[in-house]
Amino acid sequence: MIQRPSRLQRPNAQIALGGLTGIAALTSVLIIVLMLVFLAIYAYPAIRFNGLGFFSGTIWNIGNQYGSGSVTRNGFSAEPGAVFGAVVFIFGSVATSSLAMIIAVPFSIMVAMALVYRVHPRIRPIANALVELMAGVPSVVYGLWGMVVLVPLIARLPGAGSGNGLLAATIILALMVTPIMVATIRDVVLAQSATIFEASMALGGTSWQAVTRAVLPSVRGGVVASVLLAFGRALGETMAVLMVCGSAINSLPQNIYQPVNTIAAVIVSQLESALTDSSGMAQRSLAELAVVLFLITLAVNIIARVALHGADRSEGQ
Amino acid sequence: MIWRSAFNRLWWTISILCLLAAIAILFIVFAFVAIRGFPALHPEIFYTVTSGIAGGLANAIAGTFLLVSVGLLIVTVVGLGTAIWIVEFAPPWGKSTVRFAIDILSGVPSIVVGYFLYVALVEALGWGFSLMAGALALAIFMLPYVVRSADIALSKVPPAIREGAFALGARPAMVVFTIAFPWAAPGILTGLLVATGIGVGETAPLIYTAGWSNYMPTLAPTHSPVGYLTYVVWTYISQPFAKSHELAYAAALLLMIFIFTTNLLARSFLEYSLSSRGRR
Amino acid sequence: MRKLSITALALGAALLCTPLAQAANARLLETGSSLLYPLMNLWVADYQKGHGVQITTQSTGSGTGISQAISGVAQIGASDAYMSDGQMKGTPMLNIPLAISAQQINYNLPGLNNTHLHLSGPVIAGIYSGQIKFWDDAKIKALNKNFASKLPHHEIVAVHRSDGSGDTFIFSQYLSFSTPSWKNGPGYGTTISWPSVSNAVGANGNPGMVQTCQSTKYCIAYIGVSFLNETNKAGLGYAALLNRSGNFVLPTAATISAAAKALGSKTPRDERISLVFAPGAQSYPIINYEYAIVNPKQADPSTRAALKEFLSWTVDAKGGQQERFLSSVHFLPLPAAIVKLSKAQIDKIE
Repeated sequence: MIQRPSRLQRPNAQIALGGLTGIAALTSVLIIVLMLVFLAIYAYPAIRFNGLGFFSGTIWNIGNQYGSGSVTRNGFSAEPGAVFGAVVFIFGSVATSSLAMIIAVPFSIMVAMALVYRVHPRIRPIANALVELMAGVPSVVYGLWGMVVLVPLIARLPGAGSGNGLLAATIILALMVTPIMVATIRDVVLAQSATIFEASMALGGTSWQAVTRAVLPSVRGGVVASVLLAFGRALGETMAVLMVCGSAINSLPQNIYQPVNTIAAVIVSQLESALTDSSGMAQRSLAELAVVLFLITLAVNIIARVALHGADRSEGQ
Repeated sequence: MIWRSAFNRLWWTISILCLLAAIAILFIVFAFVAIRGFPALHPEIFYTVTSGIAGGLANAIAGTFLLVSVGLLIVTVVGLGTAIWIVEFAPPWGKSTVRFAIDILSGVPSIVVGYFLYVALVEALGWGFSLMAGALALAIFMLPYVVRSADIALSKVPPAIREGAFALGARPAMVVFTIAFPWAAPGILTGLLVATGIGVGETAPLIYTAGWSNYMPTLAPTHSPVGYLTYVVWTYISQPFAKSHELAYAAALLLMIFIFTTNLLARSFLEYSLSSRGRR
Repeated sequence: MRKLSITALALGAALLCTPLAQAANARLLETGSSLLYPLMNLWVADYQKGHGVQITTQSTGSGTGISQAISGVAQIGASDAYMSDGQMKGTPMLNIPLAISAQQINYNLPGLNNTHLHLSGPVIAGIYSGQIKFWDDAKIKALNKNFASKLPHHEIVAVHRSDGSGDTFIFSQYLSFSTPSWKNGPGYGTTISWPSVSNAVGANGNPGMVQTCQSTKYCIAYIGVSFLNETNKAGLGYAALLNRSGNFVLPTAATISAAAKALGSKTPRDERISLVFAPGAQSYPIINYEYAIVNPKQADPSTRAALKEFLSWTVDAKGGQQERFLSSVHFLPLPAAIVKLSKAQIDKIE
């Protein structure tokens, strides 16, 4: 019986697939480029108005909406008294995300290792589903739980004040990024052939050493990719952080208990009022904040890639 | 030698403790939501719409379902397509550029995505609050997770198998669909499930695109706002009425149950279909 | 076979895209103030029983309400603050009062939550600007000679709203109108630049204010009157505030309506006026109109008719102004003279 070759073998199919997927990839890149360009153009008046004071000032004041007159700088004007300093938010974003990652990365690796090597294969689907469910908890629910349970808990610690602050935000963020990393690390380790593990054991290492010194380094690319993704999520998380961070305005935290504010959270909380600014400068300054966040994410990704220059190549990609 | 094996024990114990801690926290949060939402869980919330200070969740459930389905459809096509291109067709500079762009996208706050689409779609294109705008917002938000997971999964196909297929005369399209996909299926599925979880639980992108509706969603792609469960959670929790709070927690509970059952079903289905093909 | 199934799929998809038969009903979108939102929900649930219009309500915030009403995405923008002159210059909109709301100052002082502390605008301004740090400060003691000894020597935790809100608007107006240094400093607005004070915390939404004050001893917070039940349940005390005439008054129906009456006659035709710090012996100092921001030009005739009908119903004594709607949120009905002005504005919609 003569079988026709599969349709997938046709030359047209290759071109079609290459073309269609190329369009998909182009779309993905286009989305981010469009957003960045739009934000940058929209924020331009604010960039000129705020100048370098944006990066050194801690005061964020949208000005007196109900007053008269306006204040002008570099050719752009805003309501009287308006000054936009973003130090509080930039610090908050970087601090909360970095601290959250410091907690979450080792924790996630531990959880993933347990899932791969210590959980019985029959229970694994349920254990996997449970950990992935952590990603399925709506961010508002994390925020609510944080507000009602976590913050009062922290408030009990000596010197903790109201509990809303850097520590609460860090913990919530760590919880939210963990499932992303666990899921991916678990998958790459599982897909990795067992020979690396067995070879390491054969050389006389303990199983833990086999994991940390042989298996994990061999999947370094995948691990780093998921860490970067998780860091991005931490930087961009809005609702949950908003409800527990204490929304510091005009002040930097002196210790881990004091209120902070992140760029994402402040955009949410200030967008509302920025819309009442008839000069539009408040909205544009928020857009400028979004651009700064883009730049921070960009910087983190570049640094990570440079630091792990060889990782991609060793994966055979 | 003894301390080495003790060390070994110690680390594995810690890792198991971490796993238990993660699951414990999940249960704590789940219990938190369940206890508060339980009073509102009557069967009628499934067929009544929200009205007054509480009401039912029918419109929100239908809306979430619609938004996530359409959003998943979009993100699967675009996301998988992008991942395939990265792994199979892209030149090296293309690979790093697209990967880089996707990683940046994951750092965009949900509110920025939502507001951008509000200005671009709802206002400029005149779509109004609509299903398509909301689905697009979700799709954009979910994209990085789908692409990266699929990318990693497809890259992990052992070179030996891939090259074996090429040696047998298979062309890229054939390799992708008959060799790479089955092998990468678990990883791709993980990406889709994580993305769904994240997408379903977001409020900010939808507030500015899907808006909100007190009524069952019409299936019109534009000019018709859609309700969704996270709106209920975010907004009704801010009401000064206990009944509203209960409804909010009930909505959160439904969301979590939906994610859990979807995950479990999808994984079981995958295990079953892969084992029946003799893959494991 | 394949072609048949593809055609069937396409037909099905096409069918799905046509909107289901709801063309007959007009549709209105209300969005904006979270203070007005509970009342809107109660109104809409009742109104729809007798009228064939679909009204969707959204709680997004006063600023969003105003901007979406201006852009036409929403027909009714609910706002706790009237539009500023700058905003009116862009697009002249109708600011139509629908009800009267108020605000209380809550605090969490162990042992003193059952009593009503006496507080004044300048003292509260001093607390929120960091000049008055402790609960047993001389200025607070001076106003509360009865429990001066019971006031603890503890730092005050000043809680403010992190999100833009009408509550912040009227609170900061009270401080601005009563305290010149605050007026020239942070001023008033839906969001202001809070002075950097140690221990100051921002909370999200009224429930966030209640939650934070409940779990933080020695806090002080400003919370909308619709949450009075919640704050009582949480065991928080509320203050008697010094009004313009020099009396300390509690937020009761009598004192709120006294303030509304005092400024009712001064309300201009476009009804943009602040009711904060009203004159009158019994007037409660922090009250405001809840506004519907509406574009006077509504193109679509059926939407326009439905809009006017609904708005007229909300300000009518036999409609939305009934006790059963307003009492659950502790709002007050509009005085008759204001109802007339509101109805006149509603007529202007064309």
